[in-house]
Amino acid sequence: MQLLLTVMGTNAEVVSHLLAKNPNNLYERGEKGLTVRLVYPKFSSEEVQVLIYVKPDPIELVKNSPDLYDITHYINDREFAASSIFVSSIRKALGTALNGKPKEEFNAWVGHLFEMELSFGPIATDLRDQEIEALFMPIGYQVEIERSQSFIREKSSARFVKLKGNQTVQMALRHVSILIPVMDNYKHYFIDEREIEKLDRYGEGWLESHPLKAMILKRSLRFQNMISQSKFYEKETNSVKIDEPSKIRLNDLRYEAIINYVKALAKKESIVDLGAGEGKLSVQLGFLDGIKEIISVEPSNKARLRALDRFELAKGKHGFLEPISVTGSLFYFDDRLRNKDVMILCEVIEHINEPRLPKIFETILKDYRPGVLIVTTPNQEYNAVYEMKEEMRHADHRFEWTRKEFKRNCENWSSPFPYQLSYQGIGEEHPIYGHPTQMAIFTRKGDSHS
Amino acid sequence: MTKIYLPYAGIVLLVGPSNSGKTTLLNRLVNEKSILSSEVISSDQFRVLVSDVEFINWNQRPKDESDVLYDEYFRVSNEAFDTMDFLIGKRCRLNKLTIIDATHLKEDDRERYIRMGKKYHVPVVSIVFNIPEKELLTRDEHRDYPRGKNRIKQQYQQFKRTIRFIKKEGFHRTYILNEEELKNLEMGRQQDSLLVNLGNGIDFIGDIHGCFEEFMELLEKLGYKENIEGYYVHPEGRKILSLGDVMSRGPRSLETLQFFKKHVGMGHAYMIDSNHGWKIARWLDGRSVNLAHGDEKLAAEFEEYENLYGHEASNQLKNEFKELLLAAKSHLIIEKNGVKVAVATHAGIRDHYIGKQSQRISDFCRYGDSDGLDEHGKPIRKDWTIEHQSSQLIIWGHDPKPQPLLVNNTLNIDQGVVFGGRLTAYRFPEKQFVSVEAKRDYANVPDNPLREWERKRLAPPNLGKFINGFSVLTEQIGEVAIYKEGIKSALDDFSHYTLPLEEIIYLPPTMSPTPKPSSLEGYMEHPMEAFEYYQANGVDTMVVEKKHMGSRGILFLFKNKEAAKELIGRESLGAIYTRTGRAFFQKELETQILEVLNKDLAGYFEKYNTDFVLLDAEILPWNLKAKELIMNQYAHVGEMALIDRNKLRAGLQKAYENGQNVGDWLRETEEKIDNAVVFNEVYQKYCWETEGLEGIQIAPFHTLAHSTETFFNKAHTWHMEKNKEFSELSSLFMETEYRVVTDDDSKKAAIQWWEEMTENGHEGFVVKPESFVVRNKGKLLQPAIKVRGRKYLHIIYGIDYLEPENLSRLKKRNASKKQRNALKEFSLGIEAVNRFIKRESLERYHECVLGVLALEAEPIDPRL
Repeated sequence: MQLLLTVMGTNAEVVSHLLAKNPNNLYERGEKGLTVRLVYPKFSSEEVQVLIYVKPDPIELVKNSPDLYDITHYINDREFAASSIFVSSIRKALGTALNGKPKEEFNAWVGHLFEMELSFGPIATDLRDQEIEALFMPIGYQVEIERSQSFIREKSSARFVKLKGNQTVQMALRHVSILIPVMDNYKHYFIDEREIEKLDRYGEGWLESHPLKAMILKRSLRFQNMISQSKFYEKETNSVKIDEPSKIRLNDLRYEAIINYVKALAKKESIVDLGAGEGKLSVQLGFLDGIKEIISVEPSNKARLRALDRFELAKGKHGFLEPISVTGSLFYFDDRLRNKDVMILCEVIEHINEPRLPKIFETILKDYRPGVLIVTTPNQEYNAVYEMKEEMRHADHRFEWTRKEFKRNCENWSSPFPYQLSYQGIGEEHPIYGHPTQMAIFTRKGDSHS
Repeated sequence: MTKIYLPYAGIVLLVGPSNSGKTTLLNRLVNEKSILSSEVISSDQFRVLVSDVEFINWNQRPKDESDVLYDEYFRVSNEAFDTMDFLIGKRCRLNKLTIIDATHLKEDDRERYIRMGKKYHVPVVSIVFNIPEKELLTRDEHRDYPRGKNRIKQQYQQFKRTIRFIKKEGFHRTYILNEEELKNLEMGRQQDSLLVNLGNGIDFIGDIHGCFEEFMELLEKLGYKENIEGYYVHPEGRKILSLGDVMSRGPRSLETLQFFKKHVGMGHAYMIDSNHGWKIARWLDGRSVNLAHGDEKLAAEFEEYENLYGHEASNQLKNEFKELLLAAKSHLIIEKNGVKVAVATHAGIRDHYIGKQSQRISDFCRYGDSDGLDEHGKPIRKDWTIEHQSSQLIIWGHDPKPQPLLVNNTLNIDQGVVFGGRLTAYRFPEKQFVSVEAKRDYANVPDNPLREWERKRLAPPNLGKFINGFSVLTEQIGEVAIYKEGIKSALDDFSHYTLPLEEIIYLPPTMSPTPKPSSLEGYMEHPMEAFEYYQANGVDTMVVEKKHMGSRGILFLFKNKEAAKELIGRESLGAIYTRTGRAFFQKELETQILEVLNKDLAGYFEKYNTDFVLLDAEILPWNLKAKELIMNQYAHVGEMALIDRNKLRAGLQKAYENGQNVGDWLRETEEKIDNAVVFNEVYQKYCWETEGLEGIQIAPFHTLAHSTETFFNKAHTWHMEKNKEFSELSSLFMETEYRVVTDDDSKKAAIQWWEEMTENGHEGFVVKPESFVVRNKGKLLQPAIKVRGRKYLHIIYGIDYLEPENLSRLKKRNASKKQRNALKEFSLGIEAVNRFIKRESLERYHECVLGVLALEAEPIDPRL
């Protein structure tokens, strides 16, 4: 991580006074496991070059991070990338220039526009070259971007930026101090409140009118509660939300259809939501009358924790029965799930490879023996209405079935066991393609359910 | 002199009016140390504890006062009794003896304790103090707080009723003692009849069911010898403990029962109660029972016996057996150095039943936990083992399984000898199994439980057994404990990402690098430390195999689709998966590879007469996921380093030329450029484009199993020969280069070989002991140690890891946890394959691979 500042034209050597760094000395300071170095590769009355770079301790750098047990954590670009680490480590060395407080006799030069080049990097960023240009062009720079050599890829992801323009030394340093972290990809887990103050100060005089102000704010402070504290913050009034009304609606319709079906059942004291995910259906079931137990089964711990949050929020609301969240999986047998009144597989089966399904249904119908089993899955025929061709509705769908395929499979699964089958469609019906979602209901014979 | 024996645990009620001498007696017994003061609970004591007053006298008071005082006394008494009962309940739960000092003249009071005894499965005994009224009145006058004549008289009336009916109230025992008897009463204590001392060791024997021949063979195998008196005794003084069901179903029930009658009587053996035992006992007792489920065979044997030896001899024998069976305990507790380490029961037990006796407990121990009847009228067996929480080992039989089954510290050792299975003995505390094959299927029933087991072999594993942590009993290192956190993560994997559970019959262990970092400067790892590790552990011959630059892959290849259907319940030509159980290739490519391999190996399956082969291999190039890692991580970092350092050099070079004193900075930067160049070279070695089958190479370095055998007993040289054999059968297979190290010369040569290959950027090699499984002084050794090259380690420890100030810090790594996990995972992997080969259930082999994946979720330095 480095920055090379080149100042051209008469009086270029004043720069050393603006920086308060003697051109004849090497500068080297240790800074929390980092070494900051500064040298003038060139120093003449016509051209002055200042190189400042930071040498981190690679072993210290990776300690105390949350990703300690991930190999990629040890091999990362933080040691090299021009980032907030870079900016904050050189701040002390460049303090005089950044604050525009040289010795009095040079005060006049603080506001002097020099012809200069700023070359810094490498940067690791998800921004495209044009986006980088859009950050610097409005504030008076020409931008050149150079990529590193790559050995196995078409294009390297390591870039070096060179800016040219007429700027004061102070402003130029302030620009890069703000914009280097904006470009950098690093995931921040925490941002110090002092960052707000820094942004407000270094952004003075240019950020207010920058066309990408909102983006710069967002990427500098990352978190909404931080962003809103900045003096550059403007409430966004015209936020455009892209919503997919049909799909969101379908989800609700699906829950509604299931809830209505369960509501009408005579026996519904105990309900099992299999593959409950984040508990969206389970929580709605919690508000139904006449239910004494809801078991919300999900293998993913992450999803379960979200479900628990959801249940916690609903807790205490009138008539809410908190579902019991359990770690469980369709590929295992779970004693706790036997002999329940209702079992639900809502949009679950299409995420399972087809050959594994018969065994799952055997476990449910033979061993768990629910009074009623409700299964929903997409109706593949309806994809035509969405103008979809071969593709499936979700990247993780292992299959999507036509109504005929679904029926045939349901019949095969249920035939060895005493269950009766019926079907319903969910969502807006199409005369040819049917409903977007199909629902099968397996009712145990001899039980007085509906 | 009268002596009564108090039960080992339970409730003793003293019954008698005030002044009958209850407290006096107890005080004497405490002084004589025949009871503990903490075993005595008295209502007086509790009245003080809850209200500070021991006694309230309301006699000789005006009515308005006496009524109030009476009410107050009543209230205090109620609270005192509530508190007392709470405490008594806790003592009962803990199986302690409690002697209650109160009058207990009301039937309700007595009944309350009888119910409490039932609830906690402890005996309730009463001791009645039968003292004449006159004496009571005399004593009252001399006490501190006289109760008064009226009250004594009133109490005596109640007492007279009590004494008339108490024997019918349902106490385990009732002692009615008069003044004289009480004066000289001695109190003894019954021993805990469920306790068995471990002594010189115990051999637990599973259900024999009249398979006397197999039983004799087993005793011989265990080292028992018949002495001149005809007893089978062990030279080390070990004892036999039968888990019951010694008779019925099989051919020689009478001889087996005779054996136990004889040996139990002499203290050479123990035998516990069981379902068949109980039924036969009642039959012998003349009750009307329906002899079925093989019990009729025993009746037939008796008929024959009677024909041969006459009615009298037969009756005599019947009587003896009846006594034996009725005396059998529901369960026995094995005590080792005063600690109750194990419990033997027939069909099961609940933790809070242990150490107690009751009808309910006996039934549970005989039949296990059941959940009503199924459609065919057979009991639905519930799995009580899941609920066992303590670390006491529960050894049981009753429910035949093909293999001894350890779940949650419960061990089933009924291997269904009478159904054609095996008779198992469990040597304790050695924890070894000894077994004898059945000569034939004697029971010959349509619902043979071992065949049922086979039918249910691929049933989904029972989640309850795993979810809160479990342990796997492995042949190699005994019990491997698997903890909850890892299981959750593994369960998520098995539910979302892996192949179907049935197809994952093995997962390879993690591999440790050299236990110590290299002692050489400039090296993180070096072959010397690997050789030293094995040599220090007594291994002289090592096999050193080149580490391919690919990813670990398991190939489970079937002879044909039918064979797969039989083995894993699905038609398939095979599965190729990663070390975390995920599909190695995309579906289409996998199908192509499997078809080619199936054709190429057709002759192999024939030649070895096997339905499948299981291979542990390295597959090249890296799989898709690893490739993404290279692209997104290594290449990016390498390129970042290079451009950063090159730019820096240019700047410093210029400064240097302009007379700045940056020589050191420049040299340092140049060195670092070299490091970055090496880094960029190394990761490139792992990347090449493949198109379809083109470029895919598989190096099977372990041939793990065929249909009926595993090859963990073969030397690595054998595995390398197999590797060669495979490479000749299919162009998809490649050979693995290897060397055998036996002496200094071959060691030197191997090191040189390592230097050469790693200098090229090659990953390195793996050092293995000659045998697959090696121990030193009983301790399992690392199955393999990887030694990675200097250059390669740049992509593990970082671009500048060889800089002395970095290397010295990085060398402070600790591989001990990695090594421990490697051994656990190695043992689990072997266990999984062995279980699969023995056709054990999916649940049984899956628990091993679940364990491996759970261990892999544990936090360990990923650079090791």
